[in-house]
Amino acid sequence: MAEPLLSVEDLKVHFFTRDGVVRAVDGVDFAVNRGETLGIVGESGSGKTVSSLALLRLVPPPARTVGGRVVFEGTDLLTLPTKALGTIRGRRIAMVFQNPATSLNPIYSIGSQLGEILLWHEPITRAEAEARVISLLTLVGITDPAARLRQYPHELSGGMKQRVGIARALLCNPSLVLADEPTTALDVTIQAQILDLLADLRRRLGMAMVLVTHDMGVVARMADRITVMYAGRVCETADAATIFRAPQHPYTRALLDSMPRIDHRYTGGARQVLPTIPGRPPNLLDPPAGCRFHPRCPDAIADCRRILPLETEIAPGHTVSCIRRGSQGIAA
Amino acid sequence: MGTLNYIARRLLFSACLILGVSVILFALINAIGNPIEILLAERPGVTEEIIEAVTKYYGLDGSVTDRYFTWLGNLARLDFGTSIIYNQPVGDMLWSFGIETLKIQIPGILLALGLSVLVSTLAATRQYSRTDFTVIAGAMLGHSLPGFFIGILLILVFSYWLGVLPSYGAYSTRNLLWDSEIADGLWHMVLPVGMLTIFNTATLTLLMRSSLVDVLRQDFITAARASGLPERRVVFGHALRNAFIPVLTYLGILFGLMLGTAPVTETVFTWPGLGALYIMAIQQLDYPLIMGETMVITVMLVGATLLTDIAYVVIDPRIRLG
Repeated sequence: MAEPLLSVEDLKVHFFTRDGVVRAVDGVDFAVNRGETLGIVGESGSGKTVSSLALLRLVPPPARTVGGRVVFEGTDLLTLPTKALGTIRGRRIAMVFQNPATSLNPIYSIGSQLGEILLWHEPITRAEAEARVISLLTLVGITDPAARLRQYPHELSGGMKQRVGIARALLCNPSLVLADEPTTALDVTIQAQILDLLADLRRRLGMAMVLVTHDMGVVARMADRITVMYAGRVCETADAATIFRAPQHPYTRALLDSMPRIDHRYTGGARQVLPTIPGRPPNLLDPPAGCRFHPRCPDAIADCRRILPLETEIAPGHTVSCIRRGSQGIAA
Repeated sequence: MGTLNYIARRLLFSACLILGVSVILFALINAIGNPIEILLAERPGVTEEIIEAVTKYYGLDGSVTDRYFTWLGNLARLDFGTSIIYNQPVGDMLWSFGIETLKIQIPGILLALGLSVLVSTLAATRQYSRTDFTVIAGAMLGHSLPGFFIGILLILVFSYWLGVLPSYGAYSTRNLLWDSEIADGLWHMVLPVGMLTIFNTATLTLLMRSSLVDVLRQDFITAARASGLPERRVVFGHALRNAFIPVLTYLGILFGLMLGTAPVTETVFTWPGLGALYIMAIQQLDYPLIMGETMVITVMLVGATLLTDIAYVVIDPRIRLG
C-alpha cells in the first residue's frame, strides 16, 4: 500500500491537573489512507476526541501533547511552526464538530464567518468568496443559500447548522476531514441525513475522513476501517468487516456483544438480558499496570497485569494489542 | 424594521421614565416645605411680609400642580431657572461645571476600557498562568479599595512625596504651567483621571477576563482555530466581541452614573465639577440647582441605558428579533 495520507505514531496527550497527570491519550497509533474513512470508536473518556483535536494541535489547557508524531503528507504537524500549521488547518485538514449549536460564532452571519475563512486562505475577492460559499451551501443541501448568507446561526435549525458546519469544513477542498461525533447532538432522522451527506460528499470530493464516534451503528455504516480505543490506547484496528465479523480483542468483542441485536431474543433462554461489560473504565490518573483493560477482561491472565501489550499485526491490515492474541508487549 | 421599532419603543419608554422621575422629584422637593421660609426664618429683621414677597418673587405661591407644569414647561425649553444662592442661570452653571466633570469622567472611562481590554486579553489567553493571577489579584485589589482611598494614595505619592502633580483644582490660580492654559489643565487632570481609570479598569477587567475565559472555551473558538485563522484574529475578532456583550451593561452604568460617582472624586481633588456643585446645592438648599442637576443626572442615566440597549442590538444579532 502507498504511503498513508496521515499517520499518527505514539501520540501522547496528558492533562496536567491539580490531582496529577491524567494520561488521556497514551501512545496511540493509527493511519488514514487517501480517500478512506477511518472510524475511531470508544466509550466516553477513551481519548478519541482528544486524539482528534491533538492532530491539529487544538487540545485545550491543561492538556498538552507530550509526545508522538502526526505525519500528514510527509510533514510532522506537531513540530511544524505555527504559521505553517495555519496553512494546513482549514485548508488541507478541516474539522466538523459535535455540537452545531455551539460551533458556529453566534454574532457573525453565516456568509461572513465562512467567507472570512476563504478570504484568509485564498487570494480571491469578496464576491468570489461569496459565490464559493453559496455553491458549498448548495452542495451540502441548504435551500436558498443566497438568503442564508445573511442569516445568523440562531435562525437555523440544528440540522441546518450542522450542514453549515460541514460546508465550512469543505471550503478549501481539504484532503482530510476530522468529524468528531458529527451526529451525536442531532435528532435520529437528521442523523441519518447528515451521515448520508458526509458519505456522499466524501465519495464525490475524494477526501479522507476520520470519524470519531461512540456509536457502533455509525461506524458500521460509514467506515472503511475501524480503530477501537480504550482508556487512551488503541485495542484493535482492522477493516470494518473484520471488526464486525471476526473481532480479536476482548474489548472489541465485549463492545459488540453489548449492542442490542435485532436477531436476538432477549426475553428467554441463555441471552436473557443485553450483556454489559462489568466494572467501569479506569481512572486515567492511575491507570492499571499492564493492559489497561485487564481488570474487566474475561480472558485476562496473570501476565496481563504485568505486560503492556503493543499493537501487533496479526493478519494483513489487522492489528491487535492483546498478549492473548499473540501481540508483543513490554513488561512493566 | 424590527430594529427601528425596538428603538422607537425604547425611546418612548425612556421619555415616560424621565417624566416619572420629574414628578417624584418635584413632590419630594415640595415635601420639604417652602424653601424661602427655611432659608430666611429666624434671621434678624425678616418679617412675614418679606417672606411672602420673596415667595411671590420666585413664583412659589401658586398651587403645586400649576408650579409643576410651569417648571416642566421651562425644562422643556432648557430653562432651569435661577440659582437662589448664586443668582445665576442654573443652565449656565450646569454647563460650565458639567464640562469640568466630563473632562475627567470620559477619559477615565475610555482609558479604563482600553486598558481593561488589553489586560484582560493578556490574562484570559494565559489562563491560570502567573500573568493571569497577577491581573486577577491587581483587579481585585483595585476593585475592593474605595475610590477615594485610591485618590488619597495618588495624592500622597505624586503630590506630597514626589511633588510632581497638583493635588487639587482644575487650573492653577497663578503661574500657569508652561504658561499654557491647556498644558496646565491637562496636568491638573492627571490625578483625578488616574483615580477613575484605576477604579474603572479594575472592575471592567474582572468582568471582561471572566467573560473572555468563558468564550475562549467555546466550540466556535476551537472551530475558528481549526479553520486556520491566526490566533490574533481568533481572539480579537471572534472571542473579544462575544466576551464584550456582558461587559456592555456595566459600561452603560458607568456612563450613566458618571455624575453619581462624581461627588467623591471631586471632593477628593477639590474639582470644580457637577459633583461638588451638587453637594453645595444640597447643603445650601439651592432648590432650582438641586432639581436641575437631578434632572440632568436622570436624563444621562436613562440616555446611557438607552444607548446600551441599542449597542446590544448592534453587537448581538440574537437580540434583533426581540
